[in-house]
Amino acid sequence: MLDEHYRYLEAIQNRRDYIEDQIQAGSPVVGLVYNDGILILTVSSGQKIYEVYNHLALSAIGHTADVERLRLLVTDAASVQGFQSSVDDVTLHRLTHFVLCPPVKQSFESIFNAPTIVKILMAELGPPHKLVAVNYDGATRTSQKAEVIGGTDMVEHTMQNYMGQTDIRLGDELTLKQAFELALLTWAVGRTASSDTEYGFTLDPDRGESDQESEVEDFSTDELIGFVRAELEENHVEAGILQISKRSKSKFRRLTVEEVEDMMPLASGKAQNNK
Amino acid sequence: MRTNRQSPNLADSKPTQHVLVDQVVDYQGNFLDLLQAHSIQLQFGQNNSDGVNTALLTRLSGLGSAVTMANPPEQSLTEGTTVVAVRYQDGVIVAGDRRATAGNVVMHDRADKVLEIDEYSVMAIAGAPAVAYEMARTLEHSFQYFRRSQLQELSIEGKIRMVSRLIRDNMSLALQGIGGVIPILALFDPSHLADSSASASAGRIFFYDVLGAQFETVDFATSGSGSVWIRGVLHYLDRWSDTPLAQMDLSQATNTVLRLLDTAAEFDAATGGANVKSEIYPIIKTITQEGVQGLPAEQVRQTYQNAVLSRTMA
Repeated sequence: MLDEHYRYLEAIQNRRDYIEDQIQAGSPVVGLVYNDGILILTVSSGQKIYEVYNHLALSAIGHTADVERLRLLVTDAASVQGFQSSVDDVTLHRLTHFVLCPPVKQSFESIFNAPTIVKILMAELGPPHKLVAVNYDGATRTSQKAEVIGGTDMVEHTMQNYMGQTDIRLGDELTLKQAFELALLTWAVGRTASSDTEYGFTLDPDRGESDQESEVEDFSTDELIGFVRAELEENHVEAGILQISKRSKSKFRRLTVEEVEDMMPLASGKAQNNK
Repeated sequence: MRTNRQSPNLADSKPTQHVLVDQVVDYQGNFLDLLQAHSIQLQFGQNNSDGVNTALLTRLSGLGSAVTMANPPEQSLTEGTTVVAVRYQDGVIVAGDRRATAGNVVMHDRADKVLEIDEYSVMAIAGAPAVAYEMARTLEHSFQYFRRSQLQELSIEGKIRMVSRLIRDNMSLALQGIGGVIPILALFDPSHLADSSASASAGRIFFYDVLGAQFETVDFATSGSGSVWIRGVLHYLDRWSDTPLAQMDLSQATNTVLRLLDTAAEFDAATGGANVKSEIYPIIKTITQEGVQGLPAEQVRQTYQNAVLSRTMA
């Protein structure tokens, strides 16, 4: 350990800056509870949503190698625990707090080693349903209704603000279609909130960069839908659900292309008005 | 103001290494290797250094001391069964009786011998249930672990070979004549569906010998002590009945397997028939394009009343 604490703090801050710089381009992920389980949604060019166990799912942003390592870490732990004892003993709390967070924190603080560039969102089908966001430094944030991960704290804050300002009541009264629409629009808000970065997007080129965070909350639903449509020219909506009514023991499944297309929000007032 | 203390010497630090690397190993989706890495031994037929079969001891202790002490080991393990799998027009129907016996003692009359392994796989077990249930649980986790870790379903070939491996690993117990398991593995293979419009062709049935050799049957398979009494009946029905097995609808298939199990119970003491008084009926599961589905107990009861007790033709 360094004998000069300020050097350590400086090193940690540098590490934080480096990780955030690496991760800020990540496509946000939204997790929402709905009336038949939990929806996890993002827009990506590959795969970012994974089944971990019968009632557990994971999504992440960050470096692919780090995401894979941590995904395997929790998948292995859940599988062994479930086999040794019972599916009931495989809980999100145990996986995040005892399996995932300690090595992530250790990795973050091991300043002479390569950092773990990752943010993770995990979901557990209840009752009660649970969503846990794990930061790159091992810190966690838990919710029973909605949770997000984004490239920066500002992006996450903006997305949470957007969800909080809608007239939709979060929780298990949402239908899957309502949850899908809200999640997709929230994703769009998060993506546009990244517009002050070199990876970001700007809905209106005339807008200044300095006040993007405040202005992003004023985007209309139509604007956000238009942004999503444009984004889908190169990427695709990826959505996975932990579904209570699914017949098999494993409750996770991906929404099909047809299901996604059917639930895509329509512009011109046909979509849920969030204003 | 900075002191003259040594600043961290990056040159002295070890080469850059990822802390998590040492904690995560890619087992290529092999659940058995994962268990081994965590020092979890399945002990299928493996003897310890003293030559004592630990798996057997474990199983026996689980049966209860009274039974274990009063009977020699070969009589303490429950076995004797009839399970049957038949292809019908939507896929495969699998049924099994509920009786578990130890020698001439009925140990349990509500055993479930038709076990869902994953969304499109069912294993019907015959033999020592302690080993069979452990095998089924291992298979279930193996198939799921492969899908979750490798992000793709284990192939049909991979699944049937995994069953073979577990049976081979159990050879020690099987050769001692006390822990043999001869399962039937029934699956729905969507890739076969693409080649043919008939869903029956996507239903696939595999059976095994006690050493793990696998065989794929065309239209039916049966296992257990009562199977000898119904195998010929199945052949007769498939060859000379008005409706070949693969062309039966669900109702006809359900009637047929219930009558077959009733026939087996008639001649085999180790196969339990339906117990109307206690409302114990065979377990029946179907594997179709929609996945594995168990027939509700009430539906089985009603069908048994109509197809077996009242001898109503389908």
